[in-house]
Amino acid sequence: MTNNQVSDEATFSRVASLLDEMIGGADLLGVEITPQTRFHEDLQLESIDLVTFAGILTESFGSHVNLAQYLAEKDLDDVIDMTVGDIAAYVHAQEVALAGSEGS
Amino acid sequence: MPSMIVNGLNTNYQLLPAAAQAEHSEPQHVVFIHGLGTDSLASFYLTLAPPVAAAGINVISYDLRGHGKTDRPDRGYRLQDFVDDLVDLLTQLGIKEPVHLVGNSFGGTIAYAVAWQHPELVRSIVCIESEPPTAAWAEKMKNILAATMEFLQIEDSYDWIEANFSAHHRRLARLAGQRITSTSMAEEVPLGPIMTIEQVSEITCPVLSLLGSHGYQADDLDALTSLLPRGEKYVFDGQGHSVLVEQHREVRELLISWISRHATESV
Repeated sequence: MTNNQVSDEATFSRVASLLDEMIGGADLLGVEITPQTRFHEDLQLESIDLVTFAGILTESFGSHVNLAQYLAEKDLDDVIDMTVGDIAAYVHAQEVALAGSEGS
Repeated sequence: MPSMIVNGLNTNYQLLPAAAQAEHSEPQHVVFIHGLGTDSLASFYLTLAPPVAAAGINVISYDLRGHGKTDRPDRGYRLQDFVDDLVDLLTQLGIKEPVHLVGNSFGGTIAYAVAWQHPELVRSIVCIESEPPTAAWAEKMKNILAATMEFLQIEDSYDWIEANFSAHHRRLARLAGQRITSTSMAEEVPLGPIMTIEQVSEITCPVLSLLGSHGYQADDLDALTSLLPRGEKYVFDGQGHSVLVEQHREVRELLISWISRHATESV
């Protein structure tokens, strides 16, 4: 396992934890949050919850994580089918980019 | 997400400050007003808001009463209530300059009514598949809302929606059904107040009307802009009512260009 994979998993774990906190416990819905969990379909969330979650991610990770801006480039079907893994992958990419820019 | 009491209701809103601005000029303000039923500020926030803010424009978006995370009273859904909400929101946010109102569907109808009653607040309007609140609009809304009420009270309707669209649309319809059937929205929205044709022709701010060639104004795509002294239209060929969602990239470019053209518009 590479360091990059480890931090990828750590990012997913943090994103999943923030999401779990926002919805008040996925276990109450009988759902386990995995990378394949779909934001709308599996967690029964609305687009407005995605806006709330975008704000939570920015607050937790920093202004380089702007999920709304990322989603603005996508089509509706992609947003509807978005998984927790997709969101974590975006956050991870922003973390890596930030670390790269700070290290250069 | 921030919220505050607006016109007596706890109202959910989002501000996105302009990322950059031209020298020697203050950033313009744009207010996004979403549509009825399944809509919320998310439809703008997840499409137009970030790139518009990045283009140097302050962005205000909010959930209408009865929608998203704003309070949902049982009654109080006349168009006038929505107008009063927007005016109070601008007051409470301390916006001193006239703003560009961008409305989707019913949101655009709210924009026309604000421009009619409070012309000093509005620098320009961009409306997406919207009409001003004329008697013809009220009749159309009454019929659409009544048909929607009837459709969403039949359980088989949800199976049809899922079969023809998706499980996601089924959920959205279920939520819209709850909003519409648990409140007086369908009964009150068409009550207006109603504008006469003369009053529509007295809206003097610039208006850009974005239409689908197969949308709600397909029967006469020129009817609205021919009434407005400074009306322009842009038609998306082959497009139905969902212009914002399905054409958001092109809408974004049109909007940013429009605001740039009308930044110094006096009111």
